[in-house]
Amino acid sequence: MNRSARRMLRSPLVLVAGALLLWFVFAFLVFPNLVMLREIFLPDGSFSTRAFTELWSSDRARESLRNSFLLAAALSVTVNAVGVFIVLATRYFALRGARLLWLGYATTLVYGGVVAVSGYTFVYGEHGLLTRLLVDAFPGTDPAWFSGMPAVVMVMTLTGTSYHLLFLTSALGRVDHQTIEAAQQLGASPWRILRRVVLPVLKPTLFAVTVLTFLGGLTAFAAPQVIGGRDFQTITPMILTFAGIPSSRDLAATLAVLLGAATLVLLSVLNRMQAGGTYFSVSKVPSALRRQRITNPVAGAVVHVLAYALFAAYLVPPLLIVVFSFTGASTIASGRITTSSFTLANYRQVLTDATASWPLLVSIAYATVTATVVIALMLFVARVLHKYPSPVTAAVEHLLHIPWMLPSTLTALGLIITYSEPRTVVGGTVLTGTLVLLAIAYVSAKIPITLRMLKAAYAGVPDSLEEAATLLGAGAWHTFRRVLLPLVLPTAAAVSALNFNSLLDDYDISVFLAHPLYQPLGITIQNATRNEGTSDSTALTLVYAVLLMAVSGLVMWFVYGRRADTGHRRRRPRPRPGHEHTAPTAADTDTGASARPTRTV
Amino acid sequence: MKSVRKTITAAATVLVTGLMATGCTSPVAAGGQGGTGSTKSLVVYSNSVSDGRGDWLKKEAGKAGFKLQFVDLGGGDIRNRLLAEQANPIADVTFGLNNVYFENLKKEDVLAPYTPSWAGKVDASAGDPTGKEYWPIVREPVMLVYDKAAYSSPAQAPSDWPDLWTEKQFAKRYEVPADLGGATAQMVLAGILSRYRDDKGDLGVSKAGWDAVKAYFHDGVPAVADTDLYARMASRKVDAGQMWLAGKATREQQYKVTTEAVHPKIGVPMTVQQVGLVKGTKKAADAKKFIDWFGSATVQAAWSKQFHTMPTNKDALAQADPAAVSDTNSFTEQDIDWSFVAEHLDQWIEKVELDYLGS
Repeated sequence: MNRSARRMLRSPLVLVAGALLLWFVFAFLVFPNLVMLREIFLPDGSFSTRAFTELWSSDRARESLRNSFLLAAALSVTVNAVGVFIVLATRYFALRGARLLWLGYATTLVYGGVVAVSGYTFVYGEHGLLTRLLVDAFPGTDPAWFSGMPAVVMVMTLTGTSYHLLFLTSALGRVDHQTIEAAQQLGASPWRILRRVVLPVLKPTLFAVTVLTFLGGLTAFAAPQVIGGRDFQTITPMILTFAGIPSSRDLAATLAVLLGAATLVLLSVLNRMQAGGTYFSVSKVPSALRRQRITNPVAGAVVHVLAYALFAAYLVPPLLIVVFSFTGASTIASGRITTSSFTLANYRQVLTDATASWPLLVSIAYATVTATVVIALMLFVARVLHKYPSPVTAAVEHLLHIPWMLPSTLTALGLIITYSEPRTVVGGTVLTGTLVLLAIAYVSAKIPITLRMLKAAYAGVPDSLEEAATLLGAGAWHTFRRVLLPLVLPTAAAVSALNFNSLLDDYDISVFLAHPLYQPLGITIQNATRNEGTSDSTALTLVYAVLLMAVSGLVMWFVYGRRADTGHRRRRPRPRPGHEHTAPTAADTDTGASARPTRTV
Repeated sequence: MKSVRKTITAAATVLVTGLMATGCTSPVAAGGQGGTGSTKSLVVYSNSVSDGRGDWLKKEAGKAGFKLQFVDLGGGDIRNRLLAEQANPIADVTFGLNNVYFENLKKEDVLAPYTPSWAGKVDASAGDPTGKEYWPIVREPVMLVYDKAAYSSPAQAPSDWPDLWTEKQFAKRYEVPADLGGATAQMVLAGILSRYRDDKGDLGVSKAGWDAVKAYFHDGVPAVADTDLYARMASRKVDAGQMWLAGKATREQQYKVTTEAVHPKIGVPMTVQQVGLVKGTKKAADAKKFIDWFGSATVQAAWSKQFHTMPTNKDALAQADPAAVSDTNSFTEQDIDWSFVAEHLDQWIEKVELDYLGS
């Protein structure tokens, strides 16, 4: 046992919490999935390699897998490029209308999935606005030009920058302005400063969001399905179909584990790259970043044009979703809007449905509770993993990534199969038919992303702060609460908001675990738009999307409120009465930048 | 500003946790009628309660003294949930799935035997062939429909599914499903493969059958997620595709497309929705009463009028929606051995997904 592990075992808090955590990991991440995998792969007690041979001999499976990996690799590049650009444009350089730009780029935070893709088809699809302009201008244009891999990559790039916008922004707040000034005085060019001073601070976060982007590309579902066309289909639709057929679940699990393994490989490569680096700028008196003017007029113009072109690309699709939500199915299909196309019927149908408000309440309650539990749990876990690196913690960390290794459909089934009978591990109770089971599944599903982002955030905190606090006599808890927590809080808030928004309309997990009296919104939406009834429900999908945008937007406002301002009005840390040292407080985490002690020891 | 936000957040959290902790009754749960002691509360799993059907049924059942809670999911999800919850079922009754799904449920021992009071009024062969575990309620043809405007005369249009892949003029002009999750797509597949039954063949089907399926998917245009078949007909992308009876009329209106359903000589697959009692329900007596009420002539006739379906209950036919009845009766029912289909369908879907889709 190494020293770090021994140190870990000396803290009673860590011990008790660690035991609880291990129980949770075993009871809800490991055990149900083992039960499920045994049921899938060893239904009659003997393991067969059928899944591998079937998949290997299927052209479609091989092709789809290849496309998924291609897409993941492509997105890792494109999303990083666009994501870094929009963060620098809104937070690092002084551009005109930065706040407006930020709002445009932030539209990705409130909508996603199939609806986001339909937003893009309203612009670029066969009947889309831009396509019609193109066909009018160049009569030879094929109206179906927007399909295949380039189209998928473009849509997923523009809709995939949420993580960058949130997490890189808070990482950028940790850049020390004085190091930039020093570099400028030493004659470094703006480009060089970006590369050598700013980028290193962003690295852990960049790695973390790259993993998320890669995973998002691997598990891409909506965009390839709608605009991939015949030649660019990905593997996730196949996984979902197979997960729904009891006798084909071995195929689903095999494919999913393959994707999960690839993600873990990337994770360990990036972890290795990250290890041993220094990711914070150290100076005697850290000061907040001030936005840089672009002095070269040509470069300034180019950046402005790019930023606003992207702004338009981001903003038009969600706007069109709102517009088309007020029309009928045939208008949506043809894309031709006249004054007579507008109707309130869709909204009336959704809003007057007596049963529509209850699922929304249920979803908000579940999302609130689970997002809170996850963040509390992971703030502690990420801290322990960061502070006490040892083989034990590394193993636990890997176990916490199980939800990334299996499709949520299967993990949900594993939970039901396991806990529909009394089990010792949960005190001999039956969990199916209770409200708890769905909450547990939600919490588990959000553990990996939360852990990744918080680990990156902790990595960006200089050790000297903690040492200083300890030297001043602060206990471990006090240090955590008054020194560390404020520094990682922006990331924690961002990841919680994202978790909340994505849980709000979850379907894959809820479909199996929801209590009949407490069915969340995802199920309502899916039913309204399932097309198993008589009428076509394209329009209703858009109405629900708009309502979700409103709720998600509200949540984002709660979390970011006026923090979305782009650094014009930075609040100064307020010394609190009764505390001599001006430790940062949660209320001061403007961008994370002001949340630093103004006096070093 | 900040303090306001904090207060609201805190208040919301308190409210929400309070709501969760007390597990207060939802307005949905309280929505039933006749709050007397005789109210029978039941959980019903169904894939046929979307589109307003559930709300209507809740109201009608409320008058009869039942308080219904629906779990409304797609057919496959209903089956999977019932299978997973077998050790401790939450559902009391399930209805709406077709014979194939019900045959699966029966085989997995999810259903309890029960003979409803109206059993004599329905054609028992349309339900559970060898027992008393599920009973037919509604019949619906699964059709091949084509856009009338695409062909100068009906003679030019396809007259049966095989025309689509054997005659060149239809190639790349008809829509095929992009995945086989939906019950309609599965019925079409069952209808094609049943023609080539060969017990010595791969998964009970001859090579000619698999070649036909391969050609069917190869010559078709895959469906696009979120774009209805009728939308694509309206924009002249495709001329034909699969549709179920109740969906045809509303879509014609929505998209201003006139379509015609093909009447093949061999017949079309008839989806027969079934109802069954869930094994292990703690409310078996009430659940049986509900099945008796739900399948009765009065309720089935009213349901038919409301939702354009054809009931299987012979006594209900007289008061049912005449158009739905005559439309359904205009089709010959294809002779399909549903036990054979139920036995193989999952493997068929897997094979098609792996080998023929997107080829």
